Amino acid sequence: MIHMKDIMKTYENGAVALDHVNVDINKGEFVFLVGSSGAGKSTFMKLLFREVVPDSGILTVNGRDVIRMAKSDVPYLRRGLGVIFQDYRLLPDKTVYENIAFAMQVIEAPRRMIQRSVNSVLDIVGLRDKYRCFPNQLSGGEQQRVAIARAIVNNPAIVIADEPTGNLDPETSWGIMDIFQRINSSGTTIVMATHDKTIVDAMQRRVIAIENGRIVRDESHGGYGYED
Amino acid sequence: MKIRTLEYFVREVFLSLKRNNWMSVASVGTVAVSLFIFGMFLMLVLNMNKMAESLESQVQINVYLEEGTTSSEIRSLEAELNDMQGVEKVTFVSKDEAMERFKERLGDQSSILDALDDTNPLPDGFEVMITQPELVETAAKNIEQHKHVESAKYGQDVMEHLFDITRLIRFFGLVLMLFLAGATLFIISNTIRLTVFARRKEIAIMKYVGATDWFIRWPFMMEGMVLGLFGGILANIILRFGYSALVSEIYSALAFFPLIPEQPFLNYISIVVVFGGMAIGAMGSTISLKRFLEV
Repeated sequence: MIHMKDIMKTYENGAVALDHVNVDINKGEFVFLVGSSGAGKSTFMKLLFREVVPDSGILTVNGRDVIRMAKSDVPYLRRGLGVIFQDYRLLPDKTVYENIAFAMQVIEAPRRMIQRSVNSVLDIVGLRDKYRCFPNQLSGGEQQRVAIARAIVNNPAIVIADEPTGNLDPETSWGIMDIFQRINSSGTTIVMATHDKTIVDAMQRRVIAIENGRIVRDESHGGYGYED
Repeated sequence: MKIRTLEYFVREVFLSLKRNNWMSVASVGTVAVSLFIFGMFLMLVLNMNKMAESLESQVQINVYLEEGTTSSEIRSLEAELNDMQGVEKVTFVSKDEAMERFKERLGDQSSILDALDDTNPLPDGFEVMITQPELVETAAKNIEQHKHVESAKYGQDVMEHLFDITRLIRFFGLVLMLFLAGATLFIISNTIRLTVFARRKEIAIMKYVGATDWFIRWPFMMEGMVLGLFGGILANIILRFGYSALVSEIYSALAFFPLIPEQPFLNYISIVVVFGGMAIGAMGSTISLKRFLEV
């Protein structure tokens, strides 16, 4: 699903973001990416949907050569991925339904299919009755669930979540993790960068720890490994 | 492009125009003003060109013959001139005709000719029309080589000045039009930039969920084109009325003045202004969008 070999990335200011990174993530895995701020987690995530291109190495995602792909192929790489951010990134002047449908409109999906898929993901995230609300009428947890619905509405093979619970209280966070578990159990690969020790420790999934751009730990059933 | 995508684009464009209503009005206005000035100069340059062309095409050489040239010599000379390269037409002007014309030109003051006491100092001659203005100088020199020719004159200085002026007008017209096109481009791209900036989050999300650059670009290009279209139509209306008024004004005062007739000239101008506006609108939005597509 994701294959990284000897990935190097240095930013223009000379900062080394990733240093000889080797990772393989298989279909259906649930992976936590941990490490202190600035360790290279964000760069790692951005490589996957090609917001950042590595300087050297081999990177394939969903069977696509991310490094050598033409710029015009990037949209098609991203259609196979669902991306979720800490700050939700919803459109404030669109309703819940429209925010989710938007992800399908822009890849020109048929209208009937949009209706069916949006209703089905609204069920998954438990927001069926709020489909007409605007984002500012929702709590943080609900907004993040809309963002998740938007990320999975196109049936991506991989969901990439960058600190999805970073702005949420523990109880709400567990609600979000519950949704991720359900998505994962249907076969979707999940890569999630997080600082949430409680969640990582409790779930006992694969943990990849990054420090100074290097992978310092990769355990198939690990804990957070740092003191808060 | 699919129909429902087009629907979506059109909805987006009109929402955006509505959302930035004052900015949209202001940019249609500025586009109209720029295109109006642009159109005015286009008309001016084209009319100047036409004027220069008609003056250039009136180029003729006045040939004066030696005193005492016989009529048979005149006829053979006329034939020789007609055979020369670049000569369009040769007209004989007898000394009497020349005097008549001279009197006409003097008009009220023709009485000064009374001093000549019926003697006519003007020579017989030819008016030689030349096909191309560039050939005039050589033709005049060649004609002077002929027997019985006293001199062959043409408006050398006037011609040279005319060429200079025409060149100058063409050059400045072009520079000014390029400048105005650039200014219009700048204004439209700034208006679209506001829209793009207001919707940068939306653009970023579109990129993350896999929209192609063209899908993102289209609504903005259409918005720019709509602004250019409205501005162009407005400028076009003013230009048409203005030119028609000018033409009728000038025809009543100076009937011989060689202005380009309204039809089909105005239709060409309309096409250039309106389509030019749309093209500049599309280009302006592409420029302002470029940075935001780099996600």
